[in-house]
Amino acid sequence: MSAMKWKKLGKIFDPTQHKLPNDCMQFAQSPQALVFNDFVRIYFSTRAVDKCNGKYLSHIAFVDMRKNLRDVIRVSDKTVIPLGGLGCFDEHGIFPMNVLRHGDAVYGYTCGWNRRVSVSVDTAIGLAISRDDGLTFQRIGDGPVLAASLHEPCLVGDCFVKVIGDVFHMWYIFGTGWKRFSLDTAPDRTYKIGHAVSTDGINWVKEEARQIITDRLGADESQALPTVIAINDRHHMFFCYRQSYDFRKNRDRGYRIGHAWSDDLVNWTRDDENPLLDITPGDWDSDMLCYPHVFECDGKVYLLYNGNEFGRYGFGLAELE
Amino acid sequence: MFKWNKLGKVFAPQEVEGRSWLKEFAQAPSTLLFDDFVRVYFSCRPPADTNGQYVSYSAYVDLDRADPFKVRHVCEQPILSLGGLGEFDEFGTYPVSVIRNGDEVRAYYGGWTRCESVPFNVAIGMASSRDGGETFIKLGKGPVLSYSPDEPFVLSGPKIRRYSDTWYLWYIAGRKWKIVDGRAEPVYKIRMAFSPDGIHWTKMNRDLIPSRVEEDEAQASPDVFFANGKYHMFFCYRYSSHYRGKENGYRIGYASSTNLIDWVRDDAKAGIDVSEEGWDAEMISYPHVFELDGKTYLAYLGNQVGRYGFGLAMLEGKLE
Repeated sequence: MSAMKWKKLGKIFDPTQHKLPNDCMQFAQSPQALVFNDFVRIYFSTRAVDKCNGKYLSHIAFVDMRKNLRDVIRVSDKTVIPLGGLGCFDEHGIFPMNVLRHGDAVYGYTCGWNRRVSVSVDTAIGLAISRDDGLTFQRIGDGPVLAASLHEPCLVGDCFVKVIGDVFHMWYIFGTGWKRFSLDTAPDRTYKIGHAVSTDGINWVKEEARQIITDRLGADESQALPTVIAINDRHHMFFCYRQSYDFRKNRDRGYRIGHAWSDDLVNWTRDDENPLLDITPGDWDSDMLCYPHVFECDGKVYLLYNGNEFGRYGFGLAELE
Repeated sequence: MFKWNKLGKVFAPQEVEGRSWLKEFAQAPSTLLFDDFVRVYFSCRPPADTNGQYVSYSAYVDLDRADPFKVRHVCEQPILSLGGLGEFDEFGTYPVSVIRNGDEVRAYYGGWTRCESVPFNVAIGMASSRDGGETFIKLGKGPVLSYSPDEPFVLSGPKIRRYSDTWYLWYIAGRKWKIVDGRAEPVYKIRMAFSPDGIHWTKMNRDLIPSRVEEDEAQASPDVFFANGKYHMFFCYRYSSHYRGKENGYRIGYASSTNLIDWVRDDAKAGIDVSEEGWDAEMISYPHVFELDGKTYLAYLGNQVGRYGFGLAMLEGKLE
């Protein structure tokens, strides 16, 4: 396989420079692209403060950009999808939402967040459908399409869905458990990347706790937000990974972008170095690289991703050379 | 109308000594028959913590088969441990329903977690016993039946049955959380799923029993028993608010079916109601029907949803 190389194009969207819906301030996390004829709609998760307790609520918004992926046309000024109702899996946030066209509709697979008492949160994956080209989305139900199960006990989320042949493939993450790594810290979670298939995008069959990407950092590696693209008949997956604790402020333990490839969608070979996306000292992504999303536009392969502080100040772009 | 003769309270958790985890409540009775005794599984609680919050365990009591009012043994330890940090059953394993499967005894149970905006959530777990139902090993750290688009939260009250090699699970699914006097109260409805192996389930995704007393009626304990050519379901129901007292509290309802799917509700036929006075004068709930040596019994809870134990009634005549 010939060497692949990312060319960084820099940060392309800064949420602090725009008015955001739902009283959101800062954060444009986990960018996800929907390509139109003459522009690209990029969904992201941004944050409002919960008036009840000062905690964050993640909301979905989007920015429409010209196909040069530099010029902003507009930022959504309305609610794209409301948060879930009282006691629902997505009551306290939607982060991220993966979008894909299916017929005349746009399917939005959400990662819904709800707060817990003994640990901070649990998540599950929901489906909402748009009939207006992605301006607004309506849930198919109040509950999730993919949730915890016998051997995936918590934190099912971060999915990426792609139809290959007649089959819906979903790559997602499942929690393997919560652990208190030291006495003076809150419990931290570990999650791995799994795979499920479906004939209709609604009813899914999991591989049930089969970790499809090997660990690079050992058992305490957390892997997040897979994204998959076919290049020259080979499937490439990008994702992010980090240590399971002390990862927020410690640059050496924080998120980096990983990569794996597969020819059969079953066996994946991890190869973070080819292509490697690395940090740039002194730049907006000097400490952290996370939440990758790969997409094709006018024959080019792009990677959207977040940099320092999990995307508090926006997202950037790289192009495959 | 069926005629149930109340026999009185059989088991009071307050009378059990030496078990710190079994101080109050004996909820949701579920039976397993042995040669000379009846094992009744139930759920119980240690005293509430300093915040007034409970955890719940499941346990069993063995009643003499010849005289069910004679307690022969109470289990020494809970039959299931609570789940680990962040797991679905970290704060409770309640209620439990058991069934024999060859040499194995299977238990399906509600696993409880605590949430921030509402007090709790529940999903259904499964565990297996190889020692005749004394101790159980969980099948996994997660639930065997969990949330889905049409069943967003509070999957609880499992009742496991098997007919003609198909496994059936009746359970309740939360419909909404209703704020009553500043407190979130769950509304749930009776549902059913079926499975070839008891592990991989297909949900029917519809309410089996129409609501009667109000749209937000909460329904629980869908206990199905086959007799005389049809399926009989005893369940309990309550109003959605102010249900902790007599007026809006739990009562026992009845429905029947010939195909396990379509049910005709006829509460007037249930034949059991609150007593004039005594341990079951305010509410009756969590019915469980079982047959023993030619007699049909109904185990059920009384006031405060089983805080003081469960009792028995015996049927006069047949279930038909």
